[in-house]
Amino acid sequence: MSILTAFFCACTGGVSSRGADELYAYLSAEPDTLNPVISSDAYSAEINSHIYETLLDMDLDTLGRKPDLAERWEISPDHRRYRFFLKKGVLWSDGVEFTADDVVYSFKVIKDPKTANAHRKVNYLDITEVRKIDRYTVDFIYSKEYYLGLEICGGMTIIPRHLFNDGADINTHRNNRLPLGTGPYRFTEWVTGSRIVLERNERYRDRKPAIRKIVYRIVAEPSVAFLMLKKGELDFMSVRPIQWVRQTGSGKFLRSFNKFQYFTPNYSYIAWNSRRPVFSDARVRRAMSRLINLEAILEKLLFGLGKRVNGTFYFYSKYYNSDISPIEYDPAGAMALLKQAGWADTDGDGFLDRNGRKFSFTFTISSGSKFAERLGTIMKEDFRKAGIDMEINRYEWAVFVQKLNSRDFDAVTLSWSLGYNEDPYDLWHSSQMEAGFNFVGFRDAEADSIMERGRREFDEARRTALFRRLDRIIYREQPYTFMFCSPALVVVSKRFGNVVVHRAGLDTDEWTIAGDR
Amino acid sequence: MKRYILKRLFLLVPTLIGITLITYMIVRFTPGDYTSLRLDMQMGLKTTAASKEILDQERRLYGLDKPWYIGYMDWLGKFCTLDFGTSRKDGRPVSERIGDALPITLALNLITMLIVYVISIPLGIAASVKKDSLFDRVSSLALFILYSLPTFWIALLLLMFLSSGEYLNLFPLGGITSDTMTGAGFFPLAGDAAWHLVLPVITLTYGSFAFLSRYTRANMLEVINQQYITTARSKGLSEPRVIMVHAFRNSLIPLITLMATLLPGLLGGSVIVESIFSIPGMGMLAFEAILARDIPVIMAIEAISALLTLGGILIADLSYALVDPRIRLETKI
Repeated sequence: MSILTAFFCACTGGVSSRGADELYAYLSAEPDTLNPVISSDAYSAEINSHIYETLLDMDLDTLGRKPDLAERWEISPDHRRYRFFLKKGVLWSDGVEFTADDVVYSFKVIKDPKTANAHRKVNYLDITEVRKIDRYTVDFIYSKEYYLGLEICGGMTIIPRHLFNDGADINTHRNNRLPLGTGPYRFTEWVTGSRIVLERNERYRDRKPAIRKIVYRIVAEPSVAFLMLKKGELDFMSVRPIQWVRQTGSGKFLRSFNKFQYFTPNYSYIAWNSRRPVFSDARVRRAMSRLINLEAILEKLLFGLGKRVNGTFYFYSKYYNSDISPIEYDPAGAMALLKQAGWADTDGDGFLDRNGRKFSFTFTISSGSKFAERLGTIMKEDFRKAGIDMEINRYEWAVFVQKLNSRDFDAVTLSWSLGYNEDPYDLWHSSQMEAGFNFVGFRDAEADSIMERGRREFDEARRTALFRRLDRIIYREQPYTFMFCSPALVVVSKRFGNVVVHRAGLDTDEWTIAGDR
Repeated sequence: MKRYILKRLFLLVPTLIGITLITYMIVRFTPGDYTSLRLDMQMGLKTTAASKEILDQERRLYGLDKPWYIGYMDWLGKFCTLDFGTSRKDGRPVSERIGDALPITLALNLITMLIVYVISIPLGIAASVKKDSLFDRVSSLALFILYSLPTFWIALLLLMFLSSGEYLNLFPLGGITSDTMTGAGFFPLAGDAAWHLVLPVITLTYGSFAFLSRYTRANMLEVINQQYITTARSKGLSEPRVIMVHAFRNSLIPLITLMATLLPGLLGGSVIVESIFSIPGMGMLAFEAILARDIPVIMAIEAISALLTLGGILIADLSYALVDPRIRLETKI
């Protein structure tokens, strides 16, 4: 056998043949398509971020907008018209110039009923028109004012008109697998189920990145990807908490890799369906939050890797109300609250009851989630001690989502991955109770008016005050038990230098090859 | 015989329609569809009246607004012209996606089956000839131990010890070819592919020996006790000749039943093995399609494997008649 393998090795040359300026990155699944107008998954977003650009870009430190394909912009006083002045002489990587026509065309494709991108269309409902003023100027026209207007217009994906506008169906267009953009990298190869390769775009107008080639390896099994990382076949991957704590600490590992940690806008929570009689009372929901030992759960299940949060906004944004202190684990306080709400063990069976009905509910989880499974077990035990009967029901993801959409649940656990500047309206406005994301049925008149005003409030300070007040109301009502914001845990090979952790993460474009330093 | 085959082929049509119809109904009635799943996962659904309209628009685009029986008829009509439609996931023709995955799975399964058959059948024969001997017991114990080892565990252990470089570095950590192999000649390419296939094939084979060898052994034992074997022995034939010609050939008949499962078995891939070894095969294709409710892909794979299963059964039935003249096909229907 060893002779045989020696023969195999001899004829393949192993991995030694790769260049120093190549970055091997990890993808845990294959993207659906590399057309940014249609694609919906994080994998294509990651790859396309190197290829395609937008009018404005987010500054990774301030999280504000900065020019990208547009050099500047003007907003009309009524906030209905956004005018962008495009940079001149920007080339698509095939040499054709990028102009206002591309912007107008991209908008048309996004809005086209024949384009299968419902998930993207919804963001552009209120934009009625994108108008070409001249070759380098475009207007976006809003039907109503909206505080995220600039972000939405500036973040619209732009595809090259000269390639896509050939009459072929956009959903099956050949360039969906052959992307071509204006960004720092151009696409070279996609081997289905194996890898996607990008090379530096030598026509890129700005400072060209030091990394000449990025190879995304598609590896379905994270533990195998981790073996590849240690073997040197991957340079860059995000790892799971258990790997971060247990498998990346050895001297040998740290000699070859740097570890980085940063927080993106996300949080996990337990949602209580306030339509259900047991959870309709805010006192009960507050009691539930006091019965869950989040500190212990964070230690036990996530190895302490996470930040306790108490509100819906991104932890590092100005909207997050840091004056609120997290709810502590307090079973006695919880029992008092439950008593106020009329729950007591009157028949001596060990379970609380009210008007002859036992306190009992079902915790619905998605069967794929190990975290939810373990969380459920801990909750069940703690609630049992408090005289609350909890059952765990597992459903496949699609069925789970169906249950949420039909509001057919008592309590669930999920996490949101949000935008850096997320509008709370979709999650919390009472108009979203029936069919939107307000599946817990949160309804509060003051909160509603705050969110309506916030959408039209262009003064940063006033909006901040409004949203911080909203956080306070949500905290009082406890429709969710807010849990943790989970960090991104990233490992990068020491072959690369200048790896800077910005507020919003890493930017491979600024990395250097360690040898160059 | 000809009439029989024609009859059987004719019967194939309603059976196939039945299978695909039921599959289609199951997929359509399972909660969730591609569009809404994508929306829900993306958190992009700002559900107002207008976005409901967008959702319906997209459903219309893929015929999901029509009742299931119309959807099925549409599918069937296209299927008859060998048009499998386009995959919802990446907009590529389904036939192209299957065309990518099928050769890989086929190669893997052919090699696996070959090894399983070549090792299990002689083992089974040997065990039956020396029934209850030490060899029989030890081999059956060993095979059952192998049989009961979980695949994902063994696969990860193999990778860890043989490929990770921390212990040995003999094999690649998955994939089907090396990145550097584009444009290489046939022999280096074949060598590279074989090198990549070693661990997946080991993982796929080790658990299958037990069943086939026990099956062979049981069939052999039944035959060995027949009177004609005693006759053959008393005629003075050599033991190998008695076993191989008289006994083994007759014990082959039940093995033919297994043939029926061979054809569809060639097409199916193991999700576990494929995901651990990063093999883009049929198992992952089908699994992902089901999770994403990618109807055209699910239906195509289902229809093809139904067709192969039915074909396999037909071939098995015909082979019975060939091997055993006592079986009269005409009377069977």
